[in-house]
Order: sequence, then structure tokens, then C-alpha cells
Amino acid sequence: MKPKRSLVYRRILDEIGKEIQIHPNYADLQNQFALLLMVEGEMERAEIHFLKGMRLNPKYREAIHNLGFLYMETKRWKKAEEIFLSEAKRHSEDGFLHHLLGMLYLQTGREKKAAAHILKAMQYHPHYRDYYRQKGVWQRGTIHLDPKAQSILKKVHLYPYAQFHNFVGLNLAKRGKFAQAVKELKKAEGLTPEEFIFHANLGAVYYYQGAYSKAVQEFQNALKINPLYGMGHANLSYVYGLMGRTGEALRCMNKAVRLNPQYADLHYSLALLYNDRKQYGKAVSELKKALRINPNYLFARINLGVLYEDQKRWKDARREYRKILRITPDDEHVRKRLESIS
Amino acid sequence: MLREDFVVQANIRRLLARTDIDASLIDFGTVRGVVYIQGTFQFSRIDPSWDWEKVNDFTLNTLYSLEKKIRRIPGVSDVIFQLNNWRREKGHWFHVSIVKKEEKNET
Repeated sequence: MKPKRSLVYRRILDEIGKEIQIHPNYADLQNQFALLLMVEGEMERAEIHFLKGMRLNPKYREAIHNLGFLYMETKRWKKAEEIFLSEAKRHSEDGFLHHLLGMLYLQTGREKKAAAHILKAMQYHPHYRDYYRQKGVWQRGTIHLDPKAQSILKKVHLYPYAQFHNFVGLNLAKRGKFAQAVKELKKAEGLTPEEFIFHANLGAVYYYQGAYSKAVQEFQNALKINPLYGMGHANLSYVYGLMGRTGEALRCMNKAVRLNPQYADLHYSLALLYNDRKQYGKAVSELKKALRINPNYLFARINLGVLYEDQKRWKDARREYRKILRITPDDEHVRKRLESIS
Repeated sequence: MLREDFVVQANIRRLLARTDIDASLIDFGTVRGVVYIQGTFQFSRIDPSWDWEKVNDFTLNTLYSLEKKIRRIPGVSDVIFQLNNWRREKGHWFHVSIVKKEEKNET
């Protein structure tokens, strides 16, 4: 279960250790370092760094969850319970937290409480219904916490190890070592196949690697588990775009925008796709939405100017170009466009 | 034309992910094949043992190679960098300090 010590892991641990000396106030470094230490079995040091990360950023969910796992791993149930309960209070509709609490109570023999949280996990995240059904915990509309159910307890303990492989995979991908990154992310996925983010990260690595069909498959796996993951739809859209499947790219980007209407760059991407299908009205509308969110979103404004030009709306185009030149007076492309219609 | 722009965007996203450039500090857009890169050019991780000169050389090399790679993407006709910490004049890159608004106001 525990990852075998390897030179790669040790090297990453050393590097993060050095980075921490330079940036001791980066919460994410503290969390990454602690996770690596935890997997190395250095629980006391790991706890110190998780706590540091949480002090630097008290809302840092990953560090909080990891510390909870560390307490579960070291059988400090009370502390783990405190952490997950306080998180569940803050994020009462997070199915994963209720799942964790369910497992924690099951582990400590409090079956009534376990059942209540398992029900909540299913209520807030439909994926858990299938998961518990597969494990025999949810049968014909009732919860069964017989000894067979104990098998899911083992799975919970795997989560930090899966997180470790996920982190190592992303770290290797950043260095361009995609083949190794894929191996690590597959390990993460294998340990907890129900975690959508591991599928999404593997999909992203395939996308960066240029293995588009595999990327599509992994993004689809992630979205099957969590259909509300907006960036998953956006990434799937980019991959479809690269495959020349612009119809599917448009469908996915539309979903991404519906789920994340506050992201200007998604409106911008959607505008490009609408324009491709010659749906100029919709393209203009999306660019305007992007500019309402971020009035300094220069590319959206340039695209808007170009679209107005296409529609022979010269006055509107001039207005947009002038606005751009007030922000970036050196933009020769825009200046030339303005001159050509003035 | 703009169909290519969406694909160019997806390609740049992919390209940036394959580098150490901190993509969270950078915005990019494509307008009829003209690629705009804006923001602060910085690395997400740098070898802590490197001195200023080495970091500077590495940044310069990365800037030149990034432009080359973007120009190689099918459909790209030009690349315009509008960075607030690096400026290109007559084909050469120069580091410029980021002047904070408050400092500007004081002067």
C-alpha cells in the first residue's frame, strides 16, 4: 500500500524541503512537504508542517483534510473527528466529508452516526450511492454495516497515498516528464478510482502530452463522477478543439460557462467557438459578458472590435479600438485597424 | 479564421503547461492569428541555488524559445508581448521593474 521509497520521491522531498527554507510562508509548500513526510512515515514532522500550512491559510482544505487523514492513520480518532466535523460544518453539502465521517464512525464502532453521514454523503453526491451499492453498504434502500462493509474502511486510508502519487505526478508533469507523470497519476487513480480530480489531472497530463483520445477518456471519467466540475468541461472542450471536433468543443464550453459564469476567459473561449459557427450575435454577447467581468480584458475587446468590423459596425469597432489604445498605446495591430476604418 | 483562434488558444495552453512559466500570472488571447501575451513573466519554480544572473539568462532563453514555439503553431501570424516586467526593443529583451501604483502616486 505504502509507496516504495524511490530516488524520485526522495529528490522531490529534498527539493520541496529546500524551497520551504526560501519560502517558509507558502502554505502549499508546507502541505506538499508534509504529505511527502507522511508517506515517508515521518508522522510527527508531517503533522508540524500540515499545522504550519493551516496557520498560514486557515481555509486551506487540502492541508486540513490531510491532517485529518494523518490523525486517522495514527489512530487519533478524536482529533480526526474534530477536524472533519468542523469542515463538514463549514461545507455542509460536501459529500466527500460526510463519507469520511461515515468511515471514521464506522471505524470507531459508532454505527448510528456512521449511517447518518453515509446517508448525507449519498444525498449530497449521487456518486456515493453507486459506490456504497457496489460495496454492499447500500442495499434495497437501506444501509447495511455488516463486516463486509469493513472493506471500504481500507479504501479511506488509501486517500493520502493516492494524493501523494497525484502530487508526484503533477510535479513530474511540470518538469516535462510525462511518461513518469502518467504512471504516478495512474497509481493515484488506481488507489481511489472514485476521486474525480485524479482522473481530471491524468486527463490534463494526456492533453499536455498530446495524447488527445486518452485525455478525452479521462476527462469523461472525471465528469461522470462529478458532472459539476466546470473546468473539466472546459479542458475537454480544448481537447476537442485540438482534435478538430468543434461541435463537441462548443457543447462542452457551454456547460463550463454555465457552471462557472464568473470566469471571463471561459466566456472568451465560448465567443471564439460561436464565431467559428458564424453565430456572431452570440459571440458578441459572450465577449460583452467577459468584459463586464473584467473591463481590462484586452483580447476580448480586440475580438469585439474585429467582430463589429465584420458586421460593418464601424462606430462600435472604433470605440473598442480607442478604448484598447488608451490602455496599450503601443499596440500597432490595433492602431492599424483603427486607421483603416477611420 | 477564428476557428483557428480557438485551436491556437488550446495549443498555447498546452505549450505553457509544458514549461516552468507561472501561467497564473499570464493572460493570453488570439485575434485572427495574432497572439497576445500579457501579465508578469515569472517562473513557478526556480532552482534555489541559482544566482540572479543565471535566473536572468534562463528567463531570456525561455522568452525567445516561447516566442519561437508560439510562432510554430499553425494559424499564428504574429506574437505580441505586453509584459509588465520584460520589454522587447529592437529584438532584444530587457528586464523592467514593476512600478507599483502607490509609488507612482507618491511621485
